[in-house]
Amino acid sequence: MEALGINLPFLLVQIINLLIVYTVVAKWVVGPVGKMLTQRRETIAQGMEDARVAGEARANAEEEAAKIKAEAQAEASKIVSDATERAQSAGAEVKAAAEAEASTAKDKALANVEAERNQMLGDLRGQVAALAIAGAQKLVGEVLDEKKQHALLNDFFAGVKDGSVVVLADAGLKGDSAEVTSALPLTDSEQDLVKKDVLDKSGAEAVSFLVDPAILGGLVIKVGDKVMDGSVAGKLEGLRQNMR
Amino acid sequence: MSEVKNEERTWARWVVLAAIIVGVFLFTGLGLGIKVIMPEVFLPGEALSETPILGIEGFYLTNTFVGMIGADIAVLLIAFFVNRGVKSGKMALDGVSGAIEALLEALENMTEGTAGKWTKDIFPWFATITLLVLSANWLGLLPGVETIGFIHEGHGDYAVRDLGFVQTIWDYGEGAENVHIEEGHGASVVPFFRPVSTDLNFTFALAIVAVLMVQVMGFRALGWGYLTKFWNTKHFFDKPIFGFIDFGVGLLELVSELSKILSFAFRLFGNLFAGAVLIFVMGSLVPVFVPAMFYMLELFVGMIQAIVFGMLTMTFMAQATQSHGDHDEAHA
Amino acid sequence: MEFSVEAATILGKLIGAGLAMIGAIGAGAGIGIVTSGAVQAMGRNPDAAGNIQTNMILGIAFAEAVAIYCLVVALLILFVVG
Repeated sequence: MEALGINLPFLLVQIINLLIVYTVVAKWVVGPVGKMLTQRRETIAQGMEDARVAGEARANAEEEAAKIKAEAQAEASKIVSDATERAQSAGAEVKAAAEAEASTAKDKALANVEAERNQMLGDLRGQVAALAIAGAQKLVGEVLDEKKQHALLNDFFAGVKDGSVVVLADAGLKGDSAEVTSALPLTDSEQDLVKKDVLDKSGAEAVSFLVDPAILGGLVIKVGDKVMDGSVAGKLEGLRQNMR
Repeated sequence: MSEVKNEERTWARWVVLAAIIVGVFLFTGLGLGIKVIMPEVFLPGEALSETPILGIEGFYLTNTFVGMIGADIAVLLIAFFVNRGVKSGKMALDGVSGAIEALLEALENMTEGTAGKWTKDIFPWFATITLLVLSANWLGLLPGVETIGFIHEGHGDYAVRDLGFVQTIWDYGEGAENVHIEEGHGASVVPFFRPVSTDLNFTFALAIVAVLMVQVMGFRALGWGYLTKFWNTKHFFDKPIFGFIDFGVGLLELVSELSKILSFAFRLFGNLFAGAVLIFVMGSLVPVFVPAMFYMLELFVGMIQAIVFGMLTMTFMAQATQSHGDHDEAHA
Repeated sequence: MEFSVEAATILGKLIGAGLAMIGAIGAGAGIGIVTSGAVQAMGRNPDAAGNIQTNMILGIAFAEAVAIYCLVVALLILFVVG
């Protein structure tokens, strides 16, 4: 203890000194500062409260004004809307008659165009088949059974083989309506075949046929919200993916 | 706006540069080549007088005693200025008292978060200890502290040099002619002023009072029930094994209260004493510029230790006021 | 060179003081762990930074106490014993 410099009198002096300092600090520092802090907090809280009350009063006044204004506006807009309505109903009748006429004309024109396009594509089909056979003959150098070749090409365009639709072979499609897309228009017998098959397998009630040359060949069948892609374009795409 | 700032910064830069140049001139071979000596380190406060105060044996006027007076005066000045500032009726104080107010506000918020409704009783101790230790620590960083004092001959390693109006101890270096100092029989300086935190009496006094007041707070909050923290026989008979463990833990709590005193006292003393020695050593090794950085470190350490001492006291007091053990709630 | 008791004493004191300070390793690691945890917590929940900082300083103070004990022992060996 001696070597550490601890001695009792000095320790006691220090303790007494600490008590004196405590009294001084508690009375003259902590007391006033604490009072000041609480006062300041109260002042700030009071100020916030005043501001809040004033804000409320202003909000009330504003609300009142807004209400009066809104009423006036509602009345004005009602008058205007009445007038507009009357004018519109007169105008609308005229317009509706004109529009109905226009739309029937348009529909007719569209149907004509569609039929014409399908007709042209159907004609094209025969020519494509002949060209393809000629090309194949040239390439292969021998004449296959022409009938068989026609059948092959028909399969290519119609996606039909041995009397059933290829795409549907192993797909459990269910839905109310089916949509069949082919590259070229199907012949009536093909349509019948496809329709029968689709109706059998999917339980759909109606089948509609579309023509989209972009799929190149085969069929794309959409039943309900499912699409079976049996098109040549789709197969080529799949091939491309595989070869990457 | 930015130009003014730049000017100020340039000004400060020149001052630092000038100080470095003066240091280089004074302490290296390029200029005067004064050798900075490593002062002798005393652990206890050194006596300034030969006769004990009031004739009590072993009770001398030591330089740490002077340090205590200095710290007291600093606290009194703080109290005076804060009081005057508050009386002036401003919303916020300015100057030094403003800094004190900001410090106290932060400390009070901390106390409120920990102690809750006992803040009014606990906070004055927190503030007292923090302010007193802070002034004691920072007074030790003033120039002249621990360097100006009596020259004590026959004790130390350096020769005395007379500069006319004042004497100093001087390192003539090895092998200097006509200066012969026998090892341990030269002179050393006994400074007039040493920060009181480097005296174990002060730190022990603070620690003892703090731990005592922790017990007082405990009794005030819980009455005699506070003693069950140390003598825990509540479950001694109905749950033999755990009851015994609880009893043992209670006794350990008693030991931990005693070790709190030691840890409080030696933490403050160790940090401040080590800081003083660090500055001595660094000053004697690299006298130019480097000590400034260590002075900054000591400024930081002094504040941290003051706040830590106060905060630990506050935390222990807050713990003592809370009912210990969850058994009470279970039975209530 | 003959054996001198004083030299051996000084040697022992210096080595002992150096060894005593080894304990500061633990305190250093402890302070590092405390600070790392506190900084992570502050990063996750910046609103609680003040509270975390308070507790961090408390934890650092406790960890540092160990180093201070070492320092005190070293100082005792250097300046008080013998």
